[in-house]
Amino acid sequence: MFPWLSVIILVPILAALVVPFLSEKDGGKTIKWFSLVVGIIDFILIVAAFVTSYDYTSSSMQLVERYPWFPPIGLEWSVGVDGLSMPLVLLTGFITTLAIAASWPVTLRPRFFFFLLLVMYGGMIGVFAVQDMLLFFLFWELELIPVYLLLAIWGGYGRMYAATKFILYTAIGSIFILVVGVALYLQAGSLNMVEIAAASGKFSFNFQLLCFGGLLIAYAVKLPIFPMHTWLPDAHGEATAPVHMLLAGILLKMGGYALMRMNVGFFPEATEWFAPILIGLGVVNIIYAALTSFAQRNLKRKIAYSSISHMGFVLIGIGSLTEIGMNGAMLQMISHGLIGASLFFLVGATYDRTHTLQLPEMGGIATRMPKIFAMFTTCSMASLALPGMSGFVAELMVFVGMSTSSAYTFEFKALVVVLAAIGVILTPIYLLSMLREIFYGKLNHEVIHEDELVDAEPREVFIIACLLVPIIGIGVYPKLTTDIFDKTTTALTQATVKRIQTAQNPLGILSKVYDPSYKTKAVAESVPLEN
Amino acid sequence: MELAYQAAWLIPVLPLMAALIIGLGILCFKGWTAQHRLWAAGLSIGTIALAFALSTLIFFTSFWSKREPFTKLFTWAQAGNFTIDVGYTVDNLGALMLFVVTAVAFLVMVYSHGYMEHDPGYVRFFAYLSLFSSSMLGLVLSPNLIQVYIFWELVGMCSYLLIGFWFSKKAAADAAQKAFVVNRVGDFGLLLGILGLFLVTQSFDFSVIAERLEQLYEVAKGASPEGMGLAADVVKFVQANPQLALGLATVVCLLAFMGPMAKSAQFPLHVWLPDAMEGPTPISALIHAATMVAAGVFLVARMFSIFEALPTVMTCIAWTGSITGVVGATIALTQMDIKKGLAYSTISQLGYMIMAMGLGAYTAAIFHLMTHAFFKAMLFLGSGSVIHSMEGVLGHENAKESQDMRLMGGLKHYMPVTSKTFLIGCLAISGIFPLSGFWSKDAILGEAFTKGILEGFEPSAAALWLIGVITAGMTAFYMFRMYFLTFEGEFRGNNPEVFSMVKAELSSAQDDQEEVTAHAEPAYGPGAMEVTELEQGHQHHDHHHEPHESPWSMTMPLAILAVPSIFAGLIGLPWMNWFGAAIHAPGHEEAHKFILSELAIVAGSSTVISLAGIALAYYLYILRPELPGQIAQSIKPLYQFSKQKWYMDDLYEWIFVRGSRALAQTALTTDKKVIDGAVNLSGFGAILAGEGLKYFESGRTQFYVLVFFGAIIPLVILFGLL
Repeated sequence: MFPWLSVIILVPILAALVVPFLSEKDGGKTIKWFSLVVGIIDFILIVAAFVTSYDYTSSSMQLVERYPWFPPIGLEWSVGVDGLSMPLVLLTGFITTLAIAASWPVTLRPRFFFFLLLVMYGGMIGVFAVQDMLLFFLFWELELIPVYLLLAIWGGYGRMYAATKFILYTAIGSIFILVVGVALYLQAGSLNMVEIAAASGKFSFNFQLLCFGGLLIAYAVKLPIFPMHTWLPDAHGEATAPVHMLLAGILLKMGGYALMRMNVGFFPEATEWFAPILIGLGVVNIIYAALTSFAQRNLKRKIAYSSISHMGFVLIGIGSLTEIGMNGAMLQMISHGLIGASLFFLVGATYDRTHTLQLPEMGGIATRMPKIFAMFTTCSMASLALPGMSGFVAELMVFVGMSTSSAYTFEFKALVVVLAAIGVILTPIYLLSMLREIFYGKLNHEVIHEDELVDAEPREVFIIACLLVPIIGIGVYPKLTTDIFDKTTTALTQATVKRIQTAQNPLGILSKVYDPSYKTKAVAESVPLEN
Repeated sequence: MELAYQAAWLIPVLPLMAALIIGLGILCFKGWTAQHRLWAAGLSIGTIALAFALSTLIFFTSFWSKREPFTKLFTWAQAGNFTIDVGYTVDNLGALMLFVVTAVAFLVMVYSHGYMEHDPGYVRFFAYLSLFSSSMLGLVLSPNLIQVYIFWELVGMCSYLLIGFWFSKKAAADAAQKAFVVNRVGDFGLLLGILGLFLVTQSFDFSVIAERLEQLYEVAKGASPEGMGLAADVVKFVQANPQLALGLATVVCLLAFMGPMAKSAQFPLHVWLPDAMEGPTPISALIHAATMVAAGVFLVARMFSIFEALPTVMTCIAWTGSITGVVGATIALTQMDIKKGLAYSTISQLGYMIMAMGLGAYTAAIFHLMTHAFFKAMLFLGSGSVIHSMEGVLGHENAKESQDMRLMGGLKHYMPVTSKTFLIGCLAISGIFPLSGFWSKDAILGEAFTKGILEGFEPSAAALWLIGVITAGMTAFYMFRMYFLTFEGEFRGNNPEVFSMVKAELSSAQDDQEEVTAHAEPAYGPGAMEVTELEQGHQHHDHHHEPHESPWSMTMPLAILAVPSIFAGLIGLPWMNWFGAAIHAPGHEEAHKFILSELAIVAGSSTVISLAGIALAYYLYILRPELPGQIAQSIKPLYQFSKQKWYMDDLYEWIFVRGSRALAQTALTTDKKVIDGAVNLSGFGAILAGEGLKYFESGRTQFYVLVFFGAIIPLVILFGLL
């Protein structure tokens, strides 16, 4: 069989090694075209692998490749995809290719810039595709360094502070991945994720709690979860548009992906303990970040906070312990990847013309830039979960999942749903205020120069159009997308729920939120398991 | 006619195609589209005409043949065994709404061709109109609550886009955002209501929800849950706490009702509708009078059998409607802006419909919805025609003044078609025999009278009837006040004294004026003007000195709408209720029996009070025009209370706008100072640690490795032991 995944991961990384030998003389044209072609080829490979070899009726790991790499410590090159990975691999290929196209205006050291972009391309796909804990850690770290450099060299005025904050946060978080990985190796006797998940029955409750907690810290930084989020506004506030697209579009999703794959997949009993906490954090994310976003006067930071707010739904979806909630969490990650990338791209495009990110200084640019206005409005509508676009379906699924979850007491469910629904009111307040301040009213001639307000060029319209096609496509007919991961998420949820229902672990005060009849249901309606 | 039903999905899809094609045209081939703008308008009007033809066919088939509702569904989203279906359904109510929406939309589009003729956003306007029509028609065809919610939000978005159509106008931008956010508050409730209903009944389908709720009430009363569709844990809960279950059901239904409250501008969520008049006038007619705002009433009708079983909910609905009716009418009494006056009148009339729903008068509410759609659309289009003409006199830079009735007067001499149709509208809305409004309003009041007095005295319904009658009197008064001020008497638009007085008052109310004139080239459209004026450009002083009648594309829709405004009532005569036979609440086959004496009392009392209102308006505004000012002076607090819209906007500004801003600011400060502060503090800690640790830096690698392993090994051992 063709080693699809290895090729997909290695093509951009190997291509990156070629970049330093290309000429920078023509303003980086050669490099840009080269990178774009590599990006497109790799995306085509991903799509080809998906179309020819991915079976969405199966919940198991597919396209698996395992080669021993360093046998003494059990390290092996092990890749594979299932419903959790495949959509995110597709998303990564799509967004990164678009980000390369969005990097066209980069003039400062293009050779280095595109080298880093291509390394990230491979690194990010690697994170989603590898099935070995150690390898996962390596890829996780591999993608940090390019981001650090991209922030530190091409960022805004506060770039060094932001880059340092980013690297410290994530590096401290990733120590936990390493430690938990080693601990898992000792307990399960394997570094392979599928084997670890299969051996999870052996893990004691306390071990699970410790590991879950450790990984949660690592992924809370990435997702991000309150109160580990403060690196994100700084990093997003300073990044250039393409880096921005990658940060919001893909890097945040690594946290959510790893939460599902490892925390839920490896530690089902600990999930019972942590699920209400995840939900609580999700609610805090939604409301707190929406409020801070509303008060934020800096455009990039405003959207950055809105990302945090949207990620809250992922947590609630995971915590709901239902298939539809889990699907909603997954779909929210894909959807936010697309919407976040498009919004950040548009913010960059607007900044290129207004040269200010301060909302009070803007206003009235719609007359001069109707296309940017139209695209910005559409993407903001998508972000505030307008039906017909992907965000709505994802949030609806999370809402339905949470409110129909049989795990929790009625009071808890009602409280969570009501609080999360406050986000439904807050989101349009800050997004529409933002649109109003940027586009409506009259032009601020003191700061903005009218002749610099050129409307969107075809490249920009094309990028947004590419992003809007899946956003609207998912919104109109979500089943096409949810089918990619439905089997895997269903199997994962059912396996987890089954373990939770048969477990008898001390939950302390957290047991209050669980419906007392939840455990007895396991006997009554034992769900037939696939796999 | 099966084919027409099969093809019903085309009705929303046709305008959607038009919107998509025009939208792509604007984005990709801007210049070409701008040159071929008549094609764009033609495409919009053509598709809606086709949709109208199909809707008419379905409407008549459905009303005559009394067939079962036609439904088609497919799976839209899936997770495990859980599915959400979407599709379309056509029943009598849906068929009626299709007919009304497509008819009004078609006429408004024709009208818009004249009204927006010289607006730079002409093509965009038609794209939005088509998009709105499509969403509204999709809403009408929705078979379940999820799909209703989807289109509910989409019409809200179209409303947002259209209110903010002239985006360089600050007032328009504010109004658009206000409309969206207030509607989102309603949607918050609606979403929670939908989720709550789903939690109890495991369904989004209207009839299934109603049926299972009915079963739930039976169980609460002690019936056996055998053979019912309720989930086991729900049954258990209900059996354990029957009272609590009923209370929760009430809460859920009231939450769901918040959606209609916001969309149909019911007190206290009505504040967005008057501001929405910042949009172009055809929009006010189509969206903010005839169709979208009626969607709330439509949804209450769809959920009627869900609400009906809970008396508390029905009472709340009825009183919400009734209070809204009074609030709207009292504010409309003093408004000087012709569109604002009509907007408050719309609020008041929507209150009537909601009140009727709450009283269980399903047929009457929908009947009034239909007649109101026709005559209110006509009134708004008429006001647009007036504004068009006034802008010709006052100049387009005086958009606000052109809507002020103090500058109008005597227009009937200049605008015969507009003034006659406006008069018909005023008569219809005042409920004068035999115009359409008479029959529909009488149907509502008759129902309240029957419930409150004829079938034994019931204080709540009797009070509702009384309030309804008083509101009818106020309606007649303010509508004829509007008519007399606008069309009778002398034309005051050329009077510089009045003009400067009005201008001073308006600019003290808002700094919008300077905003507009400061712009060298007004980006928002001239709205409406004569073709010949185009060549004259924006020279402000080069306008007519006399008002003029609008072009045929604007007067023709007025004339056409006059026909149903007069005659539509005849299909629902109390003694030959063809309408009631086709449109009735699920499970209520027969409308109540016709009693001549009852008709005489109800119709008599409301007609008398309406005539009194008209007479008073005639006395105050024709015979003694100096009196209104004196009266306003003598009851200044009351007058200001009405004129300042019960101070609702100021109240909301203080509580919600400033409150949420302060809260958000607090959150941001916390984020910066507390959370980020802790991070920076730990950074400081790291520096201290580094200072201390540097004495360990001996440069010997072995020592580093030792420290590293010294740290890792205990951790590994700890994990290994667990």
